[in-house]
Amino acid sequence: MIVEKELEHQFVSKLERHQNIAHKICRLYTHDRESHNDLFQEITIQLWKAYPKFRGEAKFSTWMYRVALNTAITLYRKKKRGIRTQDFDTVHFKIKAEDYDDETEQQLGLMYNAIKELNDIEKALVFLYLEDKNYKEISETLGISEVNARVKMNRIKTKLKSVLNP
Amino acid sequence: MDGLELLKKNWKSQEATLPQVSYDEIYKMIWKRSSSIVKWIFIISICEFLIGVLFNLVAADEEYWNSLEQLDLKEITMWVYGINYLITIYFMFKFYMNYRKINSTSSAKKLMQDIMRTRKTVKSYILYVLIGTAVTALAYAYLIIYHHIEDAQVADSSAYVFDALDWLKFTGIIVVALGAFIGVLWLFYRLIYGILLKRLKKNYTQLENLDCD
Repeated sequence: MIVEKELEHQFVSKLERHQNIAHKICRLYTHDRESHNDLFQEITIQLWKAYPKFRGEAKFSTWMYRVALNTAITLYRKKKRGIRTQDFDTVHFKIKAEDYDDETEQQLGLMYNAIKELNDIEKALVFLYLEDKNYKEISETLGISEVNARVKMNRIKTKLKSVLNP
Repeated sequence: MDGLELLKKNWKSQEATLPQVSYDEIYKMIWKRSSSIVKWIFIISICEFLIGVLFNLVAADEEYWNSLEQLDLKEITMWVYGINYLITIYFMFKFYMNYRKINSTSSAKKLMQDIMRTRKTVKSYILYVLIGTAVTALAYAYLIIYHHIEDAQVADSSAYVFDALDWLKFTGIIVVALGAFIGVLWLFYRLIYGILLKRLKKNYTQLENLDCD
């Protein structure tokens, strides 16, 4: 029982420290505050379920990227054709460009929304790319080959280019 | 600059605006099974109610009502049904409210209170069903016998005279039969709600331990 409590404490402290990862994923995969919280809770539960197998073989954050993205992808797939509002995401979009002008900020918003419109896997790829992960890390997290990750990412980049320069 | 690179450069700026979940809240999330348990209590109560209504509709055909009318029990039966439905709907509403509350609770302490309240509601519901059934059954037994004695037309009434011992036996049989029936009903409820109540209790203990830390 004491061992179990220790495990819980360990897990909760780690998750508390790294929760930004999950929140950023939630922001990318959901469209309102309520589903953001739901997804966060689901990610927490999935992480907790998988935690006994974690055993510190990788960094907690690395492992967390994998489980959290998988949870988001699985859930997103289930309700793929659910209700999706197309409005400019004022609630969710919070990326600021302080040393830039309005135009740049608007570009950031367009870009962010374009990414939200990508499919579940593409979104995960872009997310890891934005998180400054290299292709080796991306391929390991998503369970695809490095070459595949590169090819996919290039395709996404081309797709996204047309967003700002139609 | 490329749009994606621009976003990447500013990606970290969103972290200041990300929601933050506290240690306790995360802790609670990994134990928050209560809300789904309470949801099941609500669903089961609806199923039970629907099955009851369906059963009444099927069983209560014209013949049934006619025989009740003969016994002068038709009106009272309708009242019993009506009151029973009202009380059952009230409990269903309570179950639903409990579910809503537990779902939106934000502190472990509140969650514990909500769990306690849900357990109480379920227990009073079961108590209501058991006591209600017993009282109704006894009242009906009394009314049927009472009316029957009034209406009975028998040739030789001496053959039907009950002495004290007969009455005692008769009452005994009714009480035993009723007791057995209520017992079975109780077991049935223990089975369907008992499992859920036990899980709620476990959840409660876990939250209690968390609170002591």
